[in-house]
Amino acid sequence: MDGNAPEFNAIQISCLSEMANIGVGHAATAIAQMTNKPFQMSVPTVRSVELEAIPLMVGAVEELTVGIYMPVDGDVPGHMAFLFPWRSAQAFWRLLLGQAPDSPEQIGELEASVMLEVGNIMNSSFLNAISEMCGLPIHATPPLLAVEMAAAILQAIVLEATTTDSHALSIETKVSCEEEQAEGYFLFIPTLGGLKRLFSSLGLPEVA
Amino acid sequence: MVATQLLVGMAEIQVAKEGPLFVCLGLGSCIGLAAYDPVAKVAGMVHVMLPAAFADKPVDKPGKFADTGVPHLLEQMARLGASRSRILVAMAGGAQVFNFGSGSAGKLDIGRRNADAVEAQVQALGLRCLGKDVGGNQGRTMTFDSGSGLIKVRTVTSMERALCNLKGS
Repeated sequence: MDGNAPEFNAIQISCLSEMANIGVGHAATAIAQMTNKPFQMSVPTVRSVELEAIPLMVGAVEELTVGIYMPVDGDVPGHMAFLFPWRSAQAFWRLLLGQAPDSPEQIGELEASVMLEVGNIMNSSFLNAISEMCGLPIHATPPLLAVEMAAAILQAIVLEATTTDSHALSIETKVSCEEEQAEGYFLFIPTLGGLKRLFSSLGLPEVA
Repeated sequence: MVATQLLVGMAEIQVAKEGPLFVCLGLGSCIGLAAYDPVAKVAGMVHVMLPAAFADKPVDKPGKFADTGVPHLLEQMARLGASRSRILVAMAGGAQVFNFGSGSAGKLDIGRRNADAVEAQVQALGLRCLGKDVGGNQGRTMTFDSGSGLIKVRTVTSMERALCNLKGS
């Protein structure tokens, strides 16, 4: 834990968890509509962590992973990503295209754009839900896709977060479809300035 | 005997007398720089995130930036008896991981800038670089076995391969 990390009080953290919970609910609904399959979500974990520790937080750091990253603009800017293991990505491709590439080299324009769309829909529905709750404009910018070791994807995102407003709070959750053995992880890293605006829009006390 | 493993996380610097296995897991746009003094038998590794320290912010972790990380690595190695003139290095990383999507080209090219910045440091400090595996689109895991001197790199799709040996041979 970074000694310089801003501390948040229990009310703020639980409020964020609740908002994330609703946001993820919207995202799960969106992906269910897109794929015609039921998706479940886990209760989001809100953690105050050192940014540099994020890449090693995922279990299988070297596992082949598909990541969709979207920088977030508006009043609560930050960084958002949706990641899933290769096997889950293949399940998504099968659901949406009827077939899946066997290896990353086989990813063509069509496969890439389908994946970008999955991430786009998930991330945007999450952000829209948060935006509506707090009445602040928040919007995602065009998504970027990586097919890589999990740690390398997360590093690239952390690096972007470091160049903006380095701050250490992450919201993670798992979205899964049992039927298709597909699961993915959300990661949202808001900037400190964005978080302050979020809390004040909800009438919560300033960060101590 | 299995060597002790030293995980070098983002922005970290690790140094030791020879023996441990230094590991930088999943280097994306970051750079891993391994260094070794064959006479003093002192080894080290730094996991650099960005090319240069921010002008308007204090440096919280010197290992984060190329322009502070490389000198700090040498300094910490010197404390264990290493001498700059003897130090051999190898580097890996600096990929562009997000390679699909509009605007991906050029936007996140920080990997290349990282590689350039680390290389500039290596040259400025007069270090001899024996192996380099930088750029491209693939994330890399870099290991440095300071017992044997062997530097290895693996990617998610390729087998582990030897990059060079910091003990010569």
